[in-house]
Amino acid sequence: MRYLTRRLLHAMLLLATISIFSFALLQWAPGNFFDAMRLDPRVSAQTVDGLRAKYGMNRPLPVRYGQWAFSALKGDMGFSFSYNSPVAPLLWTRARNTLLLTSIATLLAWLLALPLGIGSAANRGKWGDRACGFGTSALLTVPDLLVFLVLLLLAVRTGWFPTGGMISTNFDSFSFWSKLKDVVIHFALPALGLAIVTLPVLVRHIRSAMVEALESPFIRAARGHGIPHIRLLFRYALPAASNPLISLLGFSVATMLSASVIVEVIMSWPGLGPLMVQAILSRDVDVVVGVVMLSSVFLVAGNLLADVLLFVSDPRIRVE
Amino acid sequence: MRFLILLAILCAFSSRSAVSAQTADRMVTGSPPGRAGGQIVIALRSDPKTLNPALAADVPSRDIIYCMNADLIHINRETQKTEAGLAKSWSVSRDGRTYTLRLRRGLRFSDGKPFTADDVIFTFRVYLDEKIHSEQRDLLIVGGKPIAVQKIDDHTVRFQLAQPYAAAERLFDGLPILPRHLLENAYNNGAFSKEWSISMPPDQFAGLGPFRLKEYVPGQRIVLERNPYYWKVDGKGNPLPYLSEIVFLFVPSEDAQVIRFQAGDTDILSSFSAQNFAVLAREESAKGYHLRDVGPGLEYNFLFFNLNNLAGKNLPQIAGKQTWFQDARFREAVSAATDREGIVRLVYGGRATPLWGQVTPGNKLWVDGKLPHPARSPEHARELLKSAGFSWKSDGTLIDSKANPVEFSILTSASNAERTKMATIIQDDLSQLGMNVHVVSLDFGAMVDRLLNSFDYEAAIMGLASGDTDPTAEMNVWVSSGGTHLWHLNETKPATPWETEMDRLMNEQLITLNYQKRKRLYDQVQEIVTQNLPVICLASPDILVGAKNRIGNFRPAILDPYALWNVEELYVH
Amino acid sequence: MNTMKTQRKLWGALILLAGLHGLVLFAGFFAPYSSSAQDRELPFAPPTRIHFIDAQGTFHARPFVYGLKDDPKTFGSLAADSTQMYPLHFFVRGSSYKVACMFESNLHLFGVSGTGRIFLMGSDGYGRDQFTRFLYGGQISLAAGLIAAALSVLLGIIIGALAGFYGGWIDDVLMRGGELFLALPWLYLLFAVRAALPLHIAQWQVFLLLIAVIGLVGWARPARLIRGMVLSAKERNFVVAARTFGASDAYLLRRHVLPQTYGVILTQVALLVPQYVLAEVTLTFLGLGVGEPMPSWGSLLASLQQYYVLSSYWWMFLPALLLVPVFLAYYMAADALQERLKTVPL
Repeated sequence: MRYLTRRLLHAMLLLATISIFSFALLQWAPGNFFDAMRLDPRVSAQTVDGLRAKYGMNRPLPVRYGQWAFSALKGDMGFSFSYNSPVAPLLWTRARNTLLLTSIATLLAWLLALPLGIGSAANRGKWGDRACGFGTSALLTVPDLLVFLVLLLLAVRTGWFPTGGMISTNFDSFSFWSKLKDVVIHFALPALGLAIVTLPVLVRHIRSAMVEALESPFIRAARGHGIPHIRLLFRYALPAASNPLISLLGFSVATMLSASVIVEVIMSWPGLGPLMVQAILSRDVDVVVGVVMLSSVFLVAGNLLADVLLFVSDPRIRVE
Repeated sequence: MRFLILLAILCAFSSRSAVSAQTADRMVTGSPPGRAGGQIVIALRSDPKTLNPALAADVPSRDIIYCMNADLIHINRETQKTEAGLAKSWSVSRDGRTYTLRLRRGLRFSDGKPFTADDVIFTFRVYLDEKIHSEQRDLLIVGGKPIAVQKIDDHTVRFQLAQPYAAAERLFDGLPILPRHLLENAYNNGAFSKEWSISMPPDQFAGLGPFRLKEYVPGQRIVLERNPYYWKVDGKGNPLPYLSEIVFLFVPSEDAQVIRFQAGDTDILSSFSAQNFAVLAREESAKGYHLRDVGPGLEYNFLFFNLNNLAGKNLPQIAGKQTWFQDARFREAVSAATDREGIVRLVYGGRATPLWGQVTPGNKLWVDGKLPHPARSPEHARELLKSAGFSWKSDGTLIDSKANPVEFSILTSASNAERTKMATIIQDDLSQLGMNVHVVSLDFGAMVDRLLNSFDYEAAIMGLASGDTDPTAEMNVWVSSGGTHLWHLNETKPATPWETEMDRLMNEQLITLNYQKRKRLYDQVQEIVTQNLPVICLASPDILVGAKNRIGNFRPAILDPYALWNVEELYVH
Repeated sequence: MNTMKTQRKLWGALILLAGLHGLVLFAGFFAPYSSSAQDRELPFAPPTRIHFIDAQGTFHARPFVYGLKDDPKTFGSLAADSTQMYPLHFFVRGSSYKVACMFESNLHLFGVSGTGRIFLMGSDGYGRDQFTRFLYGGQISLAAGLIAAALSVLLGIIIGALAGFYGGWIDDVLMRGGELFLALPWLYLLFAVRAALPLHIAQWQVFLLLIAVIGLVGWARPARLIRGMVLSAKERNFVVAARTFGASDAYLLRRHVLPQTYGVILTQVALLVPQYVLAEVTLTFLGLGVGEPMPSWGSLLASLQQYYVLSSYWWMFLPALLLVPVFLAYYMAADALQERLKTVPL
């Protein structure tokens, strides 16, 4: 319990630090939200200056950070220039959609990766292992975006899947079962795409952790004792290999989140991704910081979960 | 066209059914009648940021605001001329400084509340308020003074200008009339800028446009429904708009929009590349849509050199190169060596027009047809360089009179693939003259920062597209003190004689009321630009649109919003 | 494990890697054209087929290629024109290039005579030879990938080992630091670094610097993995035993703990090189890539991301396909090395 409170305290401290650093980083980058406006021939420089002053862009950095921190504590998470509204309401529904997508994709990825990784570790050097190795390597060499685009191309050509969005436009008129079907087919492509791009790293790590475990002396001894292969694999080797895998689970959350940005833009998923990309390009500072903070929370939560799992599963760490 | 409308109005009044249906001053449009009902789906690049017309600065917001609101005098996107809007008619005083607008009677906002002169007065009070910082305010300052607005009676409003203003009628387009009954309290409490944010409930909105807000789902879609109080009717007296709903989906990238159109998810597609046009064209007949190349729009892309005053900027490298850039012969040589046809073919797949001046052929009223179109000539470019004191080393490198090799970089925005491609082509063209040119594509924010604040660049490729065809919209580009006088920002006084002349011409056309005279003045501006090349114009892309065959009255125009300008007349077969 | 087999696999992978790097290093010789040579009449030309038998059925001992003309069937695309024949020659003189930045040469392995063009992998939107650009592109991309991966893993080893071995507050600080590094929007640092550099520095130098920055801030993942390995390695019986014999920390780390992590490290390197090569795809999108006209693998793939390229010109996929064996060689080498290390007694 003390361990948990300490970790939580650290997490809060970490989030505060992240907010300071990301705020500073954003200030270093050239350009600001109002510059783009100045390129419109119909807008005068005075109007732009007026807007800058109105939103407090002329104040020094620490003052602006102070304002942001105050607004964050109030629950507003700062103010978006482009939406002319607090950031928090922009985030919630989109965060829910992103979280839904990424958790389903994570589940899918692990469900695929575990049997593949374990299977190829168990059959090391054999035909199946090689095919799996080749497949994962080939996937690694393809940029995420390309995977999504090819899936999308498939959807266009076959017409089996919708080419974007989370639900159909006339969703409300559907019966319960068609609603369910509608949601599932809309989830299918983005979740599959995300699972595919995170799969190779997972499989490789699972495989190497399993190989490590299978070659340790106690497994060799166990094998010598004639313990059946399957039992050996799942009862002895897998628990021994679980340590690095749990860490992996922790930050596969982060990988998922960054990959989901692209998939959301490509497949018009109503999540944080499109919001983030727009905000980055238009230098809508508070929205970017807001999304960064939110994904940091997910990340920290993922790592926390992993550490707690490690703590529970590995007695050696518990003794410390 | 105006004659046609007049005719249509006369016809409408002669037919009894129309008269009895109208207690209000309805406007009759001349388009072929369509079928009422139905829904169309259109993709937008992102969520609209706000539905408050005084604050909207992005394309999705403006598109939706266009569908929900109406203006006093409207620019017909097809004829590019003004026509009656909420003002049934107007008159101008002889000195060109007083405009008296007579409003339509008996009109209602989309919430059923009546529309009167008070709404107009309130609207202009908002746009002119310095504290609101609306973009429209800049347009409403004429001769250094804000336009004065005065209510004559419930249906007559008078506008007083400090000086005669040629494009005064066109000012009213893009100034949606706001409902005083909904917004005045917030305005008086200083909370106007919080009003009509995108997340407010639909019953808080009301406009005079063909559609009104029905539903907004963040990140997914916005649905507009038919405004039952709309004030236009078709030739047969049927109320407009025909459509009962428009659904705008948010699809964040162009490619994704193209794919969704191809898959049949959306009904209308606009703003896409010539390459995607070719992809879509292959399945045009099989998939039941048709594509339209409406011809060159108003966007002109150009290369320009940094001619800013760099005193106090600590940029010795660039300041040194400015001696080349300031020489008109150097700029002319670059222009002569540039393969504009190649740009049109490789960048736009042939769906563009090469440009030598800033006005595109799409701008029918203002393009100077007499401008010379010199063909590409590297030989001529070499002669020009030679006469300007440049020479070549044995390995072909171009050097200036002080034996410095000619080397510079062209800045482009990384998010604009087309301009980066143009830069790559020009780089190759200029390398044949012995110039060592680098293409530097930066993200948009970084590029704008260099162009407007730090001046740390040598040359850049940019595109501008003013919202209107009228030269007045371009004042800030060509007048030397203008905020988008990109090659030399914020000049306190014109740096060259031809810039002095351009200032004179631009300021004179602003107050000249006769079109022919104005045209001559602006032709001269175009000639100065092609002779002195402060910007080297390259190409103007065509406006490309597509729609499903089931959409009726689809008449895209080269003015924004290209496919939706006659949204009230669109219908579904 | 079968030592001979491992040995063979290792050598196979190493030879393959050496061959690939040789091709890329001497791109000037193997490629028929200069990487920036445009042919504006021939954008998106399909791969040139090499023929022995002409349209009349006559056999030619010297292979030849056909010229290109507008495809009569589809508007705006190119097809082979069997009326123009250009024989293929080996060891021809062409555009000049530099070998290893020093020796100038204009000798090319192959080329066609006259106005003919040979595009083994087709041409891009400017009519530039994709094969040439693929070979040249490897120069900067492989360098970038290796530098960035080396930096990440090196920092990762140091930090991960310290955190895992010492534990306690050191561990806490380092690992929370890692989370901080994972969470920060580094993109803006890249924007800032780019903005701070003057424009006249060559784009590829800027890119190498940026990718090095990415490598430097990317230590957190390898560090976390290595920490996990160290954590469990240091509790192994033989390590505990060595400690009781009075072995110093440095000795323990070097001799007993780190060797246990080699497998993870090698896997990491093999995974990170492609990842950093591909990182350029995103960087290009944001204007932080290598920049035209210099080719790189990332920018070759980036052009494939446009829907019209993806759906119209199949040969633009070829660079992506060719990267598979390249990266596969890396993985194979890493695998083989990992196995070989296992056979060395601790």
